[in-house]
Amino acid sequence: MTKLFGTLLLCALSLPVSAADAVKIAVTGPFTGGSAPMGASMRDGAKLAIAEINAAGGIQVGDKKLKIETVERDDEAKNERGALIAQELAAMADLSGVIGSVNTGVVLAGDKHLQDRGIVKIITPAAGSASMTQWAKGAEGPKTLSMFRFAAHDGIQAAMVVEEAINRKYAKVALLHDSTNYGVSGRDDLVRQMKLQGDKLQVVATEKFNIGDKDMTAQLLRAKAGGAQAILIWGIGPEMAAVANGMAKLGMKVPLIGGWTLSMSNFIDNAGKNGNGTLMPQTFIEEPITPKAKAFIEAYHKAYGVTRIASPVSAAQGYDAVYLFAAAVKQAKSTDSQKIREALEDLKEPVSGVIATWKKPYGKWDPSNVETHEAFRREQVVMGMIQDGRVVFANERDRARLQKSGNM
Amino acid sequence: MPASIVAQMAISGALMGLVYALIAYGFQLTYATSKSINFGQGELVMVSAFFSLTLLDLGLSYWLVLPAGLLFGAALGLVVERAAVRLALEQKSEGWILLTIILGLFFFSAAENIWGRDDRPFPTPIPSESFHVFGVDVTPLELSVAVGVLAVMGLIELLKRKTLLGKAFEAVSVDRDAGELMGISAKRTVMLSYALSGTVAALAGILVSPITTVGPTMASALVLKAFSVAVVAGLDSGFGVVLVGMFLGALETLASFYVGSGWREAPGLVLLILALAVRPTGVFGKAAIRKV
Amino acid sequence: MLKRLLLVRGAELLLFVSLAALPLAVRSPYALGLLTLLAIYGILLIGLDVTVGYLGQVNLAQAAFLGLGAYTAAIVVTHSGLGLVGALVIAPSVCFVLGALLALPALRLEGPQFALATLSFTALATTALNELEWLTQGAQGFSLSRPPLLGHALGARDFYWLCMALLAMVWIAMRNLLSSQWGRAFEALRDSPIATDAMGVGTYRHKVAAFAFGSGLGGLAGALYAFNFQYLQPQSFVYELTVILLLGVVLGGRKSLWGAFVGATLVALLPNLLSNRTLFQAFSALGLAVALAAGARGLVRRTMRPFQAIAPVVATLTLVLGGLVVENTEDWRKAIFALMLFSVVVGLPEGLMGFATRFLAQLLRIAPPTLPPASPLDAVLPARPADGAVLLELRDLRRHFGGVKAVDGVSLSVRAGHVHGLIGPNGSGKSTLVNVVSGLYTPTSGVALLRGSALPQGSLVRVARAGVARTFQNLQLFTGLTALENVMVALTGVYRAPLPFVLLGLGRAEDRRARADALALLELVGLGDEARTPAKDLTYGAQRFLEIARALARKPEVLILDEPAAGLAHPDVVKQVEIIRRIRQRGVTIVLIEHHMDVVTQLCDVVTALDGGKLIAEGTPDEVKRHPKVIEAYLGNVGDVATEPAPPAAGARIS
Repeated sequence: MTKLFGTLLLCALSLPVSAADAVKIAVTGPFTGGSAPMGASMRDGAKLAIAEINAAGGIQVGDKKLKIETVERDDEAKNERGALIAQELAAMADLSGVIGSVNTGVVLAGDKHLQDRGIVKIITPAAGSASMTQWAKGAEGPKTLSMFRFAAHDGIQAAMVVEEAINRKYAKVALLHDSTNYGVSGRDDLVRQMKLQGDKLQVVATEKFNIGDKDMTAQLLRAKAGGAQAILIWGIGPEMAAVANGMAKLGMKVPLIGGWTLSMSNFIDNAGKNGNGTLMPQTFIEEPITPKAKAFIEAYHKAYGVTRIASPVSAAQGYDAVYLFAAAVKQAKSTDSQKIREALEDLKEPVSGVIATWKKPYGKWDPSNVETHEAFRREQVVMGMIQDGRVVFANERDRARLQKSGNM
Repeated sequence: MPASIVAQMAISGALMGLVYALIAYGFQLTYATSKSINFGQGELVMVSAFFSLTLLDLGLSYWLVLPAGLLFGAALGLVVERAAVRLALEQKSEGWILLTIILGLFFFSAAENIWGRDDRPFPTPIPSESFHVFGVDVTPLELSVAVGVLAVMGLIELLKRKTLLGKAFEAVSVDRDAGELMGISAKRTVMLSYALSGTVAALAGILVSPITTVGPTMASALVLKAFSVAVVAGLDSGFGVVLVGMFLGALETLASFYVGSGWREAPGLVLLILALAVRPTGVFGKAAIRKV
Repeated sequence: MLKRLLLVRGAELLLFVSLAALPLAVRSPYALGLLTLLAIYGILLIGLDVTVGYLGQVNLAQAAFLGLGAYTAAIVVTHSGLGLVGALVIAPSVCFVLGALLALPALRLEGPQFALATLSFTALATTALNELEWLTQGAQGFSLSRPPLLGHALGARDFYWLCMALLAMVWIAMRNLLSSQWGRAFEALRDSPIATDAMGVGTYRHKVAAFAFGSGLGGLAGALYAFNFQYLQPQSFVYELTVILLLGVVLGGRKSLWGAFVGATLVALLPNLLSNRTLFQAFSALGLAVALAAGARGLVRRTMRPFQAIAPVVATLTLVLGGLVVENTEDWRKAIFALMLFSVVVGLPEGLMGFATRFLAQLLRIAPPTLPPASPLDAVLPARPADGAVLLELRDLRRHFGGVKAVDGVSLSVRAGHVHGLIGPNGSGKSTLVNVVSGLYTPTSGVALLRGSALPQGSLVRVARAGVARTFQNLQLFTGLTALENVMVALTGVYRAPLPFVLLGLGRAEDRRARADALALLELVGLGDEARTPAKDLTYGAQRFLEIARALARKPEVLILDEPAAGLAHPDVVKQVEIIRRIRQRGVTIVLIEHHMDVVTQLCDVVTALDGGKLIAEGTPDEVKRHPKVIEAYLGNVGDVATEPAPPAAGARIS
């Protein structure tokens, strides 16, 4: 047994394909289970970008063109798996970088292994604020950081949600969130933002729901009894649809405002017409408003045989993250993670993505300012609204601005 | 607190509890004949729901899909019996516990890959607009589940009491070998009970899906509750599951409201452990006399 | 004997030495991470195996204890100055106590009910960890750093060695525990809780102990888990993990430390290894080859049912074909896992290690351990004086079930050294009477006195401990144990070492003594040569004899034999009579319930006849046989039949 085990272990460690003439990137995330719509859309978006780059011959690294080779790992949204995968990736000698992660816990459990080895990771499409703030400990924090986040961070989102509620002149709101790390941090972010924005909102109920819950009557009745004029919601997945449906049942005609996950098909489809009017910040809206967006959407639909992306935001972010990474490799003229990190912190040329044209998205890491490794700024995020099963721009202004910005 | 709010919670919870009860029936049916249950019952609910959804997407009418889905469920039940239960029963081992878990894992993974990982809505001709009676909002969808549960319960009790088949169930349940001697094929009876259990799972899938949506994980939370309901009620008590199911559902909602939504399940769990400690065969189960 | 010791201990030594040496050769942090996880899961699964393997119950709470242990350790190192060692002591202790508490309500449960109770506990634990945010930081997760060990900072490799050292300690301690009286009692409990009680062992204490021990190990694994990952979230410890752990134990092989270890290896490594496509294809091809070979062999030798031979082949073939067709094996990982598990569970029901040990034992011709010479019978069962004084007295004993008066006011006296027969037609209340006296049922009224003092009521254990042993009409052997172990479980007066000593391996001397004593009793009933045969493989007659030997191990004052000759063929009846005579010669007082009239006639000094729950006659066998009420009870009212009714024919089985 010992022998067999030893052999197995050696196999597992030695087998990973050696890639002397390729840029090796790992794509990780939950590809099975409840968070899979985000993880799998992100992966598919990223693979689309990789396929495009490879079809064009690869990335220009110094004097040769290198194709991108991918390693896929499903973390199943489990911290333990995430930690092991991170260890596995950290042990790969020729790995240039990692793209992925949805669940905050997985990031917290695993990223330290990548950081120890200095392997660049672009965290996308989700993962809560804690995934970056864990490093921003001022003087105690690391001096260099190889983690970059490519997602509208919860601070921006929460700010926009609270702002929207204030703009709409609501005074009383209820907070509903799921019991995961994501939901709980979302709740805390919202509360913080309400304070920051001058305590104009009164919270009449703060309620939780578990993954898999179908009956939200109790939570909603508390909100209703408190006279909530809007429900601010933070969660992942179809439970939020159960909230929308429960509101319809109880005859509550107040809007739902929440994180970007409300734009996923599992909310839109399952809430049906009860989802109409729901508002959420978006980095990408599956509307072919620009040629670039049109091309991306069409290519995605064609490549994966779908008519709608399960999580357009995740797909677009996965796609853009690959292009950012490729640009950094090109600029670094190397597949070495350290050099790629330095290049990412100082991208000379703008990168044209499907979400925006990225001009210097990151700066040199400052342990007291997490923003240096956050790509998204307020202006890249718009408010989306659900209308008849699709996400549209909530404010016509945003649509016009994006079209004009000529990103594309 | 106005009485109407309490009533609303109790009724919404109890209606949800009927969903647990419906799935719990699937456990009772197989336990009755073979003292075994399918730990992958939730996957049967889910796969049947996906199958029915596929038929609906093909354009078949709901009323055609319903029987087709039920037949499919019965077939799945037979697969479970053949692949995971029969051998263990023949060897008088408890291998069925693991094998049904394993089979469930397989169904889950297959469904993820065949139908995707996303939750999808399940169209139904039953309207979902709520109506207001005595200060309480109820949707026809929820009522349809209630009707389904009661119909199933009625049919099964009728079957058990009035038909020869019911007697065969009872005989095999009491003593497999003696039943065999009386000319009742234990094997066939067990197969039949698994087919019926699969049918009930499919019915649950079709009735519940419009409320819960269809996705690989749709039944994983429900089935644990259903299991609790079945065991607490007593694995041989038909009426018990309905009562316990409604009680548990209502308790969850009320606990969620009064104790805090995070503690929703806690009172039910504590009661459950205590109920089992006091009455191991279930609240409505037949108490067993220790015999030697 | 030496060869066995060398091979078995040698293999263990080799395992641990190579595991300890591995990090010197393999420097990859990933490999080290996997190995550390392997050690942690090893401890966890050894703990789980106590309930799943030995107690035979489906325990779905182990993931919760992992979590509770992890959080306890995290809280201890973060909020107190107790450090690593403190955490490694406190976490298992907390789980030990919680496990014992959970065992209280779960005590009466079995099968699905037990599974549900433990499952509910898991859900409850997760809820609590999630909701007690002030203590656990809830869903946000708990970050901690690995504290130093006695002042030394622990690197990844040092920590791995710590985990391995603990695994080795747990391994040795559990081997000591499980091969002692405790381990046998756990297994006895699995096979027949009633007989365990009736042998004075006490289901209560052992079930709680087994559960507490398993849970404590869960807590220890949890503490290591916390220091390994340094980040905890409640949802890591839910139902899904619990199921995977359970599958790991079964896959590896129940009731085996090696099995638990192999299970841990599979659980820890398989998901990661399956990510590698080439490796997966190699695995499935190997699996198919093994399944084909084993299936063909099983079919030819008829040791397997067709399903058992064919199903694993179908499953592994699906794997091989699927591997060729499916584009992304990562997506199908759960299905792959399921198919592999399915093949093993169906094809090798004893698990990988159960199969491997049997195979290796055959291959290397490892003999089972030799038995010590039997103790002299006088040392085991000293002769008692047969003074004819009243030993057991029943006074107006009644037991009613609802309206049925099963025993309705029976008074009788059994004298020391006598064989006291108890006869009566079916339903006359004999068995109920015995069940009341032996403590299975509480009497509705009346008392039973042993040497003038009242026997405990309604408790098999306490009656057994008071000196009354019994056998069962429907055999209640510990079927999974050998004949010798059956007797050893019941043996009284030998085991004195307290639990900590047993864990340290200081109970072996008394275990040897117990072996020798038990062997003497087996020889008394003529089963000396069957000592190593599992009880379930003995002939029916031998099983009846074994029940008597086991009851004798209680060294009882009164031995109640409940139809010891029922179902025996004639030669075995003769043997049985001989055995009972021998026991009687040692001065053991016997209450004999029997239908074979010739047995009663040959053996009994006094016979009491019951009918309808009442005593109808008492006297010597001949007197009772001729008593008109007895004849009437057996044959019905025959008053109008002209001829003198014949007494029940000797040797005829009246029923």
